[in-house]
Amino acid sequence: MANIASQRIKREFKEVIRSEEVARCSIKVELLDDNYSQLKGEIAGPPDTPYEGGKFLLEIKVPETYPFNPPKVKFLTKVWHPNISSVTGAICLDILKDQWAAAMTLRTVLLSLQALMASPEPDDPQDAVVARQYKGFPEIFISTAEHWTNIYAGGSRKKEEYSKKIERLMGIGCNMDQALVALSGCNWDLDKAIEQIFG
Amino acid sequence: MGYDVGRFCGSVDEELICPICVGVLEDPLQAPTCEHAFCKRCIHEWLNHQPVCPVDRQTITSVQLRPVPRILKNLLSRLTIMCENQSHGCSGIFKLDLLSSHLIECEHNPKKLIPCEQGCGFVVPKDEVKDHNCVRELRCTVQKQKQKINELQNQLSEHRFLINDLRRETSLLKEYMKVMRSTNPSVRAIVEEIERDEVVRWSNSLPRARVCRWGGMISTPDEYLQDSIKVALVESGCPSHIIDELMDNSHERNWPIGLKSLETRQSKRREYEKYICKRVPCKQAVVVLQIDNPLLDEDMMVEPGLVMIFAHGVE
Ligand SMILES: [Zn+2]
Ligand SMILES: [Zn+2]
Ligand SMILES: [Zn+2]
Repeated sequence: MANIASQRIKREFKEVIRSEEVARCSIKVELLDDNYSQLKGEIAGPPDTPYEGGKFLLEIKVPETYPFNPPKVKFLTKVWHPNISSVTGAICLDILKDQWAAAMTLRTVLLSLQALMASPEPDDPQDAVVARQYKGFPEIFISTAEHWTNIYAGGSRKKEEYSKKIERLMGIGCNMDQALVALSGCNWDLDKAIEQIFG
Repeated sequence: MGYDVGRFCGSVDEELICPICVGVLEDPLQAPTCEHAFCKRCIHEWLNHQPVCPVDRQTITSVQLRPVPRILKNLLSRLTIMCENQSHGCSGIFKLDLLSSHLIECEHNPKKLIPCEQGCGFVVPKDEVKDHNCVRELRCTVQKQKQKINELQNQLSEHRFLINDLRRETSLLKEYMKVMRSTNPSVRAIVEEIERDEVVRWSNSLPRARVCRWGGMISTPDEYLQDSIKVALVESGCPSHIIDELMDNSHERNWPIGLKSLETRQSKRREYEKYICKRVPCKQAVVVLQIDNPLLDEDMMVEPGLVMIFAHGVE
């Protein structure tokens, strides 16, 4: 790994560990290898959002050319958000693309992702289905995102109605992820979800 | 990229850290308006990616970068840093501005050049000495030189070829001009100039000669002797249009009045010292050309010059 990249990550890793956000359990990083090219990040779902109470894991890959190019980051924890793919965890965020600047750090990246969770940008979506729901059915979006947070990230808010519908689908041979994606995408219309899966 | 912070004694102010490489600023430059400072190499590399300040993303280009203020330079030069060859045994600690001059002479620098002790003549980086093999290196050099010689030989034969071509063309042109000169006076003038130039060039190519024994002059050379002198003249590149006249003028019957008889020769002995003579290569003979001796009296010189053959005494 290029000298400058590992030098930077060493320092940024320490910066995150010493930060007040860590003290508040709001962000976290972990090294996955000795040469500082792979890290695991974690951010807490921001308060007063559907993600509150959840812990979201991130995969962080540091390129050889860091910090001249941004780190490659994606969500490992499944999340329902217009700028994050509900299937792959890919993120649409300008600072991870053309708005990257060499002085940004792991800490600023993690904090920016937290900010993105708090304020989605549906006009620049990564997941078109989620973005459509966010704009057209805001209440459903919120409860869906809460439900996802409950299932995957350990959040406490969930809807009994949603759980029942998921069970119904699982009763006819779907797995849980499949059922959740189909129902969420159909605004929890059971017939449409069945049609989508089996039709 | 900047100096590793860990090499400095004591803590380093954040102001002196490059935001790109997080080392201590090396050859710092700053952005024009926001005045953020970076290592020269770091910021140039970044601007290859995006033309904005790495800290605040204000638009900047390479040409807008400025030297940092003196105060920042002073702060940097006051820092003390350990030699980068510490792991190779150097315990030196220096002010940052003196580091580069130390590195040149640092005894512990694994890349310091030292002459091979076996006497092969190579200078080798210290850490490569143990793998250095004089025979292999010299063989490699010989190989390279052989290659070079081959290249040069090829060039040489190409040039020879070219010269022969040019010679052939020149002689054709001369023939052509010879034909032309009889009918066209301006061509005649050109030909005469060319011929004159030829004589000058030839004369300049011959070494100056000094006759130390004028008494050894052979005033009536036989045919055999004349032939051998003529061959030497041809080989020295004597222009063909004067060679026969010159050879005719190697016998006293064609010499000017001042040389013609033994008596005049004895009385004019002093005047000979004025001759500017050129050596006929490998022969005890000199040519005295009119063009080399333009100021001599008519009774001492004839066109286009004369040849003097000696039994001995030419240097
Ligand atoms: Zn730097
Ligand atoms: Zn700036
Ligand atoms: Zn040293």
